[in-house]
Amino acid sequence: MHSLRAWEGTAGELALSAMVEGLDFAAPVGKSRSVTALPETENPRAEASLAAAARDGDRGAFGELYSKYARVVHGILLARIPPADVDDLVHDVFLHAMRKLKALRDENAFAGWLAAIARNRATDYHRRSTELVELQEDCAQENPPRAEALAILAVIRILPEAYREPLILRLVEGLTGPEIAARTGLTPGSVRVNLHRGMQQLREKLGQQPGEKS
Amino acid sequence: MNEKENSKHDYLWDGSGEPEIEIQRLESVLGRLRHDPELHPASRWPEPEGFRDRWRDWLRLPRLAPVLAAVALVIVASLLLRSPRVQPTAETAQTAWEVANLAGAPRIGASRMGRTGHLAVGELLETDSNSRANVRVGQIGEVEVEPSTRLRLVAARPTEDRLALDRGTIHTFISAPPRLFFVNTPAAVAVDLGCAYTLQVDDHGIGLLRVTFGWVEFETHGQQSLIPSGAAALTKPGFDPGTPYFEDATDAFKSALEKLDFETLSPADRNRALQTLLAEARKRDGFTLLYLLRQYRGMSESERGLIFDRLAELIPPPAGVLRERVARGDDYMIGLWWDLMGVGHPKKK
Repeated sequence: MHSLRAWEGTAGELALSAMVEGLDFAAPVGKSRSVTALPETENPRAEASLAAAARDGDRGAFGELYSKYARVVHGILLARIPPADVDDLVHDVFLHAMRKLKALRDENAFAGWLAAIARNRATDYHRRSTELVELQEDCAQENPPRAEALAILAVIRILPEAYREPLILRLVEGLTGPEIAARTGLTPGSVRVNLHRGMQQLREKLGQQPGEKS
Repeated sequence: MNEKENSKHDYLWDGSGEPEIEIQRLESVLGRLRHDPELHPASRWPEPEGFRDRWRDWLRLPRLAPVLAAVALVIVASLLLRSPRVQPTAETAQTAWEVANLAGAPRIGASRMGRTGHLAVGELLETDSNSRANVRVGQIGEVEVEPSTRLRLVAARPTEDRLALDRGTIHTFISAPPRLFFVNTPAAVAVDLGCAYTLQVDDHGIGLLRVTFGWVEFETHGQQSLIPSGAAALTKPGFDPGTPYFEDATDAFKSALEKLDFETLSPADRNRALQTLLAEARKRDGFTLLYLLRQYRGMSESERGLIFDRLAELIPPPAGVLRERVARGDDYMIGLWWDLMGVGHPKKK
């Protein structure tokens, strides 16, 4: 039997990246593809230093990490749990991360590690609660502009899991694709693929036509 | 801007190029739900004990310095005067893991442990029906050990942390790059790919791995099963790892899968099991069907064709993905279909 590992995140990611970038769809897997450079605001080395300092107990460094990553954690949770409970759980995720930071062996892996904690806390949330608070209830009690946002969020939340997170980080939290990749530990290729596929599905669900430009 | 330059821009990806009106509208509406940094400013967090700058502040207070020095002196003197007791040696401090007693009387080797203990390489940690323990996996995570469990520390090195679960149940939480943490079971090895999972082994060596988040790989004889969050897989001694399935699949689906994976069936029984599996499959179970297509467990091309047809009903294949190529196990085409499943990919090392 061939190893499944052989096609982890390769063929599909590359093919859609190729389509997105206007390259040849049928190009062989493994050919080079353009890699979008991180914006100047993203500096993985500086963030690794912050993570290392925070791990050594520097509270100021942890505060900076919070400022940089709060939107990411918020977005990850918003993709999974009722909006009314997200803010409290953001706080909970950072407290948990603060306590567990000593277990982080590779400070370069901070982004993925924190994202994993956020996803895990969301899973714990569902294990503990019976999810009586649903989005529809939220919508009914909200003012109209926020209700509209919650209604669209509800549509995003029925999309496949892999699409929800990047779409929410992009459309709700206002991060760019390269920022999402850098701050979640995912590859730029998979984020880009999932953003475009998710957007396509969201358009279909919302009944919009792709390609409208201002 | 000419057409070539324009094609490089991708507003959804990085905000470059001409904005797309519906994306801008979504940003505007959904932005109302954006994180509010004023809700929980870092300055208002409670500070956990042991955080360094609290101690720094204390030490900066000149009037406390003599008191602290005196306290330190008393502590050092009392440690020196106490009767000698067993402490981890320099060697075991590096290769032994801390164990906390959570309940009852777990044993390390032949000794009942107190509140805490150390598990050295080669040593056995055993819990009876009333005891539980927590093992710190070096600096990378924790393993919670349930009652009636027998666990050995096989290796504790910077490049490999390895336990052997002879029987019982453990829950692991690991924050480390993939392929640093392994758990041997009688039938397969669980390879951490960045995750939390529960692993059970019964008295017959049959293992069940359930992934809470992230990915885990079950490996044996060079064969692998990759198991994503929310999914599980069985292993049985003498067999390749079971095909992963989502735990909310129907019992009939899971039973049919177990037969196909682990039983020697007559052609009629095998066909019956496959028909049950296909009939019971939901869209979410497409992941398992695709996995079956990917494997070669004596599955004929016609069987793989049947699986293709059912999977195509549940999740139409991407354009260009061909039945005959997928039935022959074409990695590239199966990879394209995999992406539609929405289960993602394990993180890279």
